[in-house]
Amino acid sequence: MSPPTPLPRAIDQGLANCEICGKITPVVACRCPRCGAALHLRKPASLQRSVALLVAACALYLPANLLPIMTISELGDVMASTILEGMVEFWHRQAYPIAIVIFVASILIPIIKIVALVWLCAAASGKVHPSPRILGRIYWFTELLGRWSMVDIFVVSILVALVQFGAYMTVTPGPGALAFAGVVVLTMFAAMSFDPRLLWDRLEIMKAAETPPPTLDHE
Amino acid sequence: MKRQASITPWPKPTGGPHPVACHFCDTLHEGSAVPEGSAARCRRCGVLLYQNRPASLVRVTAFSLAALILMAMVNMFPFLSMEANGIKTELSLLRAASELIREGSVTIGWCVAGFTIIAPLMMACSMLYVCGPLLRGRAAPGARYVASWLGRTEPWNMIEVFLLGVLVSLMKLGKMAELHFGVGFWAFAALMVCMAAAVAGIDRNELWDRLEVAAE
Ligand SMILES: [Zn+2]
Ligand SMILES: [Zn+2]
Repeated sequence: MSPPTPLPRAIDQGLANCEICGKITPVVACRCPRCGAALHLRKPASLQRSVALLVAACALYLPANLLPIMTISELGDVMASTILEGMVEFWHRQAYPIAIVIFVASILIPIIKIVALVWLCAAASGKVHPSPRILGRIYWFTELLGRWSMVDIFVVSILVALVQFGAYMTVTPGPGALAFAGVVVLTMFAAMSFDPRLLWDRLEIMKAAETPPPTLDHE
Repeated sequence: MKRQASITPWPKPTGGPHPVACHFCDTLHEGSAVPEGSAARCRRCGVLLYQNRPASLVRVTAFSLAALILMAMVNMFPFLSMEANGIKTELSLLRAASELIREGSVTIGWCVAGFTIIAPLMMACSMLYVCGPLLRGRAAPGARYVASWLGRTEPWNMIEVFLLGVLVSLMKLGKMAELHFGVGFWAFAALMVCMAAAVAGIDRNELWDRLEVAAE
């Protein structure tokens, strides 16, 4: 038997933390007595779900950035615009703050989020061993910032609604918008299905493996 | 004054200790009461466990009521209008979604409607429905079911992101047309503040402890 840890974990006592209401109930109860949600010690199939959703998000990432998110027809000229082109246009017009906002929200955040989640999944399955403090920051970041990538979809919806001037100028949505919305929604679901407690479980396993049999050593 | 005092501070359900587990590292804590305005943090990883918000129920009720009124204003008054080449077009939340659907992007259209209209509306209604009766210590019929959907809806409320989208669009359109802000736009900005205040107004643990006590 391993020596008793000073800080007890819920899983060691067979207690489940209800995801919906936060009540602590023995997991054998199956359903939360307070809100009726299904009880699990850990989110079911957390890693598999996250990885599957991330793979789908990666597959959509290229079309999201290469296909035009909208088409602008101005006096007969039809011009398709991708996310990157929209950003470059702002840069050329010296609108640097807005170009940076688009770059961060539409290009940087999705890619960082995908990489961060892949890394978290790798850490949870024991393939890399970073410190839990750094992982905590990364998890917090992926949870908080992912939604802001949606801004480009809203820009398309606003321009489509506003710029309807017949032959003079019209904006129509492009196929890239659907792919881009897919990337944002899929990474949000991937972050939701990832269980950060798996990172700490991995840490416990590593600690147990490292700890030598109780001898005089105090390394 | 008297009403304020009649609201119990943060009742704990009867029947033994009420442990709390950290959602990040699964460490068990006693879940003892904290004074109003302060928060309990995990001893192992430092993540926020729960916080005792001052005048929580009153705040949530007031801000979600204000949010509902502002939502009505956003949809009643002009939001943003644009004039170019003698033609005037108008933007509203409904039109931002419906024009996409009309142009054939049905999925994105419904996403936009869901994130900017349906999710905020559902959240404001359910917060009002759950917290209003709790002010008098009662749970509305089906309040637990409504409250369990509240947490699930929260990540999909994106009105602050939509507001950033409006600003980016303004920068894009700025040179080519005349733009006019309506009352609806300012109501929308206020709505964003009210929704954020209502969501941050009560801790999840407090809400559920109150619901548990009220139903008994
Ligand atoms: Zn529950
Ligand atoms: Zn913790």
